[in-house]
Amino acid sequence: MKKEVPLIITFISGFLLIVALFIPHEPFGSLQERFNDWYIIVSGFTLILGVDSLLLYHWRKIKTKDKDAPYSIILIITFITVLLWGIYSGVKHGNPFAPASTFLRYFYTYMFVPLQATMFALLAFFIASAAYRAFRARGLNATLLLVSAGLVMLGRVPKGEIVVPFFIAITLILIAIIFVLEAVARVSLYERLLYFALALISLIAIIPLSILLREYLPALADWIMNVPQLGAKRGLFIGIWLGAIAMAIRIILGIERTYLK
Amino acid sequence: MLFLYFIFLLSPPGNVKARDVPNDAGGKIEVTWKLSPDDSLLDFYIIFRQTQTEAGWSTPETLMIVKRGLSKITDTDCKDGVKYRYIVRAVKGEEWVDSSPSNIAISSAQWFHKKRASALILLIIIVGLLLFFIQKARKGEELFIRKITGLDAIDEAVGRSTEMGKPLLFTLGLGTIADIPTIAGLSILKRVSKKAAEYETDLIVPCFDPVVYVAAQETVKEGYMEAGRPDLYKEGNVFFLSYDQFGYAAGVDGIMVREKPGAIFLQGYFYAESLILAETGNSIGAIQISGTTAVTQLPFFIAATDYTLIGEEMYAASAYLTKDPLFLATIKGEDWVKILLIAVIVLGIALETIAYFLKIPLLHFLKQFFTII
Repeated sequence: MKKEVPLIITFISGFLLIVALFIPHEPFGSLQERFNDWYIIVSGFTLILGVDSLLLYHWRKIKTKDKDAPYSIILIITFITVLLWGIYSGVKHGNPFAPASTFLRYFYTYMFVPLQATMFALLAFFIASAAYRAFRARGLNATLLLVSAGLVMLGRVPKGEIVVPFFIAITLILIAIIFVLEAVARVSLYERLLYFALALISLIAIIPLSILLREYLPALADWIMNVPQLGAKRGLFIGIWLGAIAMAIRIILGIERTYLK
Repeated sequence: MLFLYFIFLLSPPGNVKARDVPNDAGGKIEVTWKLSPDDSLLDFYIIFRQTQTEAGWSTPETLMIVKRGLSKITDTDCKDGVKYRYIVRAVKGEEWVDSSPSNIAISSAQWFHKKRASALILLIIIVGLLLFFIQKARKGEELFIRKITGLDAIDEAVGRSTEMGKPLLFTLGLGTIADIPTIAGLSILKRVSKKAAEYETDLIVPCFDPVVYVAAQETVKEGYMEAGRPDLYKEGNVFFLSYDQFGYAAGVDGIMVREKPGAIFLQGYFYAESLILAETGNSIGAIQISGTTAVTQLPFFIAATDYTLIGEEMYAASAYLTKDPLFLATIKGEDWVKILLIAVIVLGIALETIAYFLKIPLLHFLKQFFTII
């Protein structure tokens, strides 16, 4: 019975919610909203369990004199201070977030919001380091990623089309240099001529490519975003939603029971 | 003179129409009107409502005031079965002019959402296919599932972490228990906890959502029990961390830097904190296996972690790890639905192309069928 009852509840709830999607009439119409309300009530109670877990975790560290115990002491002191401060401001102003509340001004505006912003700001540096790794042209796929990302970035920034001729010129000159070095290193005359020809083509391509991209770069960036990028994304979405439906059916039918154990 | 000019030239809104909002639970009437020709000169419109009683039409009551330029409102305060009609008043300063009353409208609830008919048919097909393959699996038919490198790497990651004498870190992201990626993450957590118990390695699971925390605790406990090592389970290693996005990210980053786990599992639904977590994990040299269905976060995981379960691969995790025929059957059914969808997409492209060039509106039927507004 310990498992059967939750399985029956899951089946009925899942089935009712699917039915409710197609029947706007009451009592089905507001079923999802009602279920969400119940979920919020239940999760409100589990928050007490969560706080208990957090405090217990840090209390254990203090008790066992763990090397990280000082952090745990700070956490518990901060927790109690914020809780009491919030209650005090709530009682005094009717709401801890009232404009005149010291809790809002000193804790929320001057401490909590800047700390959140600091964490979020770290993303800028992490994006740079991740992009460096992702954009290294190690193979054909990475090179395609690098080129398309470069084009989209230049196509989306203000005045990107002005920068693009310089970007193209530098890139193609570098490619030409690589071809020339390859040509010098080769022994066969045929190969040497081939690499010299490739270097020459790279140099000749600078002007027409610059003119073309200067004219059509924003359109090209939009095309990359709206056609190959969106196509791949939609493919992913179809797979994800089909997977989600399959998983939901497994849960409703009681095949998938991980959440029960 | 100017005053009189306005009085005589202020034109009323026209063609006021009222209708029951379709496909709803009742209690709503949609009112539309043609803007007054003097719309640009107006201050606002006042919408009046009249109810039919036994004694005739009631005195008009003000329903709402809307700014100029708007020609549609929804009256959400109707009683089903009662007859209503509406008047729209155009107001300019002290002057106003009323439209003719609208037609009579009665709100009612519907028993079927007609615009979702195509979704219902698709759902029946998908569920039918999935149930068909489940039935086949029950009869003992063997089903094949392709190799998923990210899931194969779980054992390797746990093993490597054990060799290094370092703990494992598992995060389920910011999803709630109502999110399917979280449930998929829990099935991976069970496998990881079982392996952790077998290898006698510590497993740390900081949680964002208190309900997920309770489920994670039970899942890890079950994993240790299945491995026959309930004595190794440490309750304090699965804990609630924070209900704030960046507070959680800061907390998990702190654990990564202090505990230096040998393997990190990022499995669930993630938002902007995904890269903060993955890059910190990368900086401490841990082997990282990520998985999410958040399409916007996938590129970050692919760039910063060693293995990534992309979208549906996460949902296939429980099937892949257990090799249970019933689980595998749903994956097989999913593949058939994909084939069906590809066929429909190709057919749709062909029909729309022909309809465009030959100007045959009838050929738009497939597009119209799948258009849900």
